[in-house]
Amino acid sequence: MTDYFEVHERDGAARVGELRLDPSVRTPALVTDADAGTDPDGEDSFRPETDLAHPVLRDAGSEWTADRDRPAGDDGSLTLLPHRGLPAGTPGEVQEAFAPDAADVEFPSAAVVSPDTAADCGTDAYVLSGAPGVVGHAEAFVDAVVGVRETVPPDTALYLPGVATPANVATLVYAGVDLVDADRAVVRGTQGHYLTVDGHAFLDNLDELPCACPACRGPRESFDRADCATHNVNALAAALATARRRVHEGRLRDYLEGQARHEQWLTAVFRRLDDQYGYLEQHTPLVRTAEMTAASEDTIRRVEIQRFARRVTDRYRNRFSNPLVVVPCSARKPYSDSQSHGQFHDAVQWRAHKVSLTSPIGAVPQELELTYPAQHYDSVVTGRWSATEVEFVADVFRAYLERNDYPRVIAHVPEDYRPITERVKAALDTEFVYTVEDHPTTTESIGNLAAELADELKYGKRERQHNTVKAIADYQFGDGAGDDLFGELRIRGSHPGLQAHDADGDQLAVVTRNYGTLAFTLAGARRWVDSDAPTKRVEIDDFVPHGSVLAPGVVAADHDVRVGDEVVVEGPSAFAVGRAQMSGPEMDRSTRGIAVQVRHVAET
Amino acid sequence: MSQPSPEVYEQGKGMDAHNRAMREIRARNDASYDPREPTRVWLDEDNTPDGFVDSLTIILNTGGCRWARAGGCTMCGYVAESVEGGSVAHEDLTAQVETCLDHEADNADEPADLVKIYTSGSFLDEREVSAETRRAIADTFADRDRIVVESLPDFVDREKVTDFVDRGLETDVAVGLETATDRVRHDCVNKYFDFADFEGACAEARAAGGAVKAYLLMKPPFLSEGEAIADMKQSVRRCGAVEGCHTVSMNPTNVQRHTMVEELFHAGGYRPPWLWSVCEVLESTTDVDAIVVSDPVGHGSDRGAHNCGDCDDRVQRAIKDFDERQDPSVFDQVSCDCERTWEAAVDRERGYSVPLTR
Repeated sequence: MTDYFEVHERDGAARVGELRLDPSVRTPALVTDADAGTDPDGEDSFRPETDLAHPVLRDAGSEWTADRDRPAGDDGSLTLLPHRGLPAGTPGEVQEAFAPDAADVEFPSAAVVSPDTAADCGTDAYVLSGAPGVVGHAEAFVDAVVGVRETVPPDTALYLPGVATPANVATLVYAGVDLVDADRAVVRGTQGHYLTVDGHAFLDNLDELPCACPACRGPRESFDRADCATHNVNALAAALATARRRVHEGRLRDYLEGQARHEQWLTAVFRRLDDQYGYLEQHTPLVRTAEMTAASEDTIRRVEIQRFARRVTDRYRNRFSNPLVVVPCSARKPYSDSQSHGQFHDAVQWRAHKVSLTSPIGAVPQELELTYPAQHYDSVVTGRWSATEVEFVADVFRAYLERNDYPRVIAHVPEDYRPITERVKAALDTEFVYTVEDHPTTTESIGNLAAELADELKYGKRERQHNTVKAIADYQFGDGAGDDLFGELRIRGSHPGLQAHDADGDQLAVVTRNYGTLAFTLAGARRWVDSDAPTKRVEIDDFVPHGSVLAPGVVAADHDVRVGDEVVVEGPSAFAVGRAQMSGPEMDRSTRGIAVQVRHVAET
Repeated sequence: MSQPSPEVYEQGKGMDAHNRAMREIRARNDASYDPREPTRVWLDEDNTPDGFVDSLTIILNTGGCRWARAGGCTMCGYVAESVEGGSVAHEDLTAQVETCLDHEADNADEPADLVKIYTSGSFLDEREVSAETRRAIADTFADRDRIVVESLPDFVDREKVTDFVDRGLETDVAVGLETATDRVRHDCVNKYFDFADFEGACAEARAAGGAVKAYLLMKPPFLSEGEAIADMKQSVRRCGAVEGCHTVSMNPTNVQRHTMVEELFHAGGYRPPWLWSVCEVLESTTDVDAIVVSDPVGHGSDRGAHNCGDCDDRVQRAIKDFDERQDPSVFDQVSCDCERTWEAAVDRERGYSVPLTR
C-alpha cells in the first residue's frame, strides 16, 4: 500500500511524481539527510547540497551493527527502515538470508533492497543497495534497475544512493529512478574531479571553468576542491531539473540520445534498455503531443518507432484496389499539408494508394498520416542514408508488401531511395515502375507519375473515408478490427475530424486530430465489446466514475493496456469508455494515481 | 572445536548462507601445498610489554582452520594455503619449524626475543597441533623471552598455556576476536564465538600465568567506513578493559584471494579501509590501558588499506611509528588533500551505499 508517493506523469520508464511528505517533494528529486550537517559531535560536516537537496531522509540504521528499534517515523520525512545493505557482489544465498521483511508502518517509509532481494515490502520507496557497483557497467545497471522496478509496485519511488553525477543523472531517471543524492558529486569534487553534463575533467587541467554557477564565478586561482564539490552539486541539480522538465514534456529520450553520448556506458545503457523492449514498451504511451527529434540512428530503436512499424506490418491492411504509389516523406507534417505531397496529389488524383517511405518511421500509408508518431517527428534530411536506415525502412516496406497486394507498384522516389526499393525487389521480386527524373517534384517527374496512372479509375470520397477509419481501427485495435467494428458505417464530418456513425445514425467514434487515433462513444464502446476485435478492459468496483477512475478503484485491468489506449471501463453499476492514464499492469499494482480518464459513462 | 550448531546462534539464518557461499568460493582454489613447508616466515620488530623487540613470525601449515572447511570467515583466505587432506604429521610440523629456524639463522644476527606462531587456525587445537608437537615447539623456543601462539578462545585452557609458561616463556595467546560487537563478528565476519568467550580465554591464560593479545579486524564487509571506525573504537576500549589482555592489534581488512570479500571487491561492493581511519582509531584510543598497534597489510594497494596513492607511504610510516612509540603526535606530522575525501566518505557512506570511493 503506497500512501506517500504518487506518479503524475510518465515518459517511458521515467516519471514525474510526488513524494507526499509535508511539504511535498516533486520527483525525480535530489534528497539528503533530514538532519544533515548536525552531527552529534557538533562538528559541521561539509554539505554543499544544503540549499539544493530536499532534507527528507531519516535513516533508522544498519542491522549489520546492531539490533534496531522500530523507528517512530514522521510525515515530514522518508524513514529508511532498519536495513542490511547488500553491496554489489554479495553471493545470492547471503542476500536471501538477509533479505528485508515486509513492513507495516503508518508513516512514509523506504525499504533497502538489493537487485536479488527486491520484493513488495509495503513501503512507499525502495533504496537500491549495491548501486555503486553497477553504475558504470551498462549491463549490470540495466539488469539491476529493471529487475527492481519490475518487482516493486509501480507507484513507489526508487532511490539509487551514492551514484548520481551531472552526466549520468538523466540516464538514471530514464531507467526509472526517482530519488538521488549528492554524495558522489561531493566526493568526486573533493578528489578534484570537475563534473559536467558532458563528463568530467581534472580540476588541475582546467585553465578556465566551463560553468557560470555561483561556485564558479570567483577567480580561477582561488577555486579549490570544496568549490569544486559545490559546483558538482550545482551541476547535478541543474541536470536533474533538465531531466525532470524533459519527462514532463515527454521528450527525455530525445535529450538522452544526444547527452548520453558523452559517456560510453550511458549510451550503452539506453541501447541495452532498447533491448529490454518489454520493459520500455509497457511504459511508453500510445500517443504524445510532443514532437520527436529523429537525429540519431538510435531513434530507430525507440518503442514509438518500433511499435508503429510493427502495427503497420502486422495489423494494417490496404483496402484499396488501385496501384500503389510510393513517395518520399516531407518535412512538413502531416505529409498531405506539404507542397511536395500537394504536387504528388495533383498528379495522382485519388487514382492510387499512397505510402510514404521515411526514416525513421518506415512506411506510412496515407490513412495513417495523422497517427502518432507519423505527424510528430522531425528528422535530419540530407539525402545521405546510413546502412541501418536503409535496412530498417526496406525491412518494413518488404513486410508491408508481403501482406498487401497491389496490381502495380510505382516508385516515385528520388535516387537516394533506390537502395531501399532494390533490396525489396531482391527479396520479393516486386517490379517497381520508376517515375522520377532528377527530383520527384520536377515537371517531368510529376508528368511521368500522372501518365503512369492515366488509365486508372479514381476511388470516391466515401471509400477513402471508410478506409481511413477502418485502417486506424486496424492499427489501434488489432488485425481485422476495422471490419469487425465498422461493418456498416456512415461517415460525417470531414478530414481530419471524421466521425463514424452506425446505420441508424448513432455516433460510434471520432478520429482525433492531434493523434490520428479513434475515440469511442458509449455506443462505439458497446460495439467494441460485442465485436471480435480484442477489447481492452478495466474492471472497477461498484461505483459510477465521473471524470476519472483512480487506481484503488480498479479491480483488474488487461495487461496490454498502455497509456493513451482506449479502454472500456466496467463495474457492477457503470459502463464507461475513456483513455488509459497508466498501463494495465500499473493499474493492477498501484494504490494511488489516476488510472483512466473517463469520456462517457452510463449507470447500469 | 569452534563450529557451533546453528541453534547456538539464534539468528543462524546468516551462518548457513555465509558458509555455503564461502565453500563455493573456496572450491575455486585448486592449489595444494607441501606439508613440510611453512606457509610463511618473516623477521620483524614488535611492540610488547617488554618493549620494542625483534620478532620471528611463523605461519605454520597445519592443515588449516576447521571452521574454514565448513565455510568460515568472509575475509580469510589462509585456508587456501593449507595442505590437501587436512592434518599434518608431527614430523612434518617439526620440519616446518626447522625451516623457519634456518631462515632466521640465515637472515638475522641473533635469535629474536619474540617468536610468534600462527596457523590460520588454532595452535592450541590438538586436532591441528598435537600435544606432542606443542611441547616440542615449546622446547625449541624455550631460550626466547616471549612466545605468541594463535588460537580461537575455545581451545585456550590453562594446561596448554602452562606448557610454555613452564619453560620460562612469557606467553601470549593471540585471539582473533575481530570485533567486540558480537553481531558484527557473527553476521559480517561469520565467526562464531562471543565476546564472553574471549573474556573466558583471557581468564584462562591469566590463570596459567600468560596473557592475551587481541586481534581486531577493521571494516569487515557490509560496514560503511564510519561504522567500521565506530566499531573499532568501541572494540579497542572493550578489549583494553579485559584483565589479561595487554595488547590490541587492530588491523585493516585486506582483500585476500578466494574470499567473499574478494567477490565484493571485484563486483565494486568493497573498499578496504582508509589509512586515515586507522589513524583516527589509534589516535582516539591512546587513553586505553593496553598497547594498541596496527599493521596494515598491503598498504597503499587497491587490496589493502589505502588513501589516495600520494600519501599512503607517509601515513603508513606514521602508523608504524605509533606502533613503536604509542605517541599520537605522530599523526600531526602527516596531512593530505585526500583527508577531505575521507571525511566525506565517513560522513556520507551508509551500509547501502558502499563504497562511495575507490
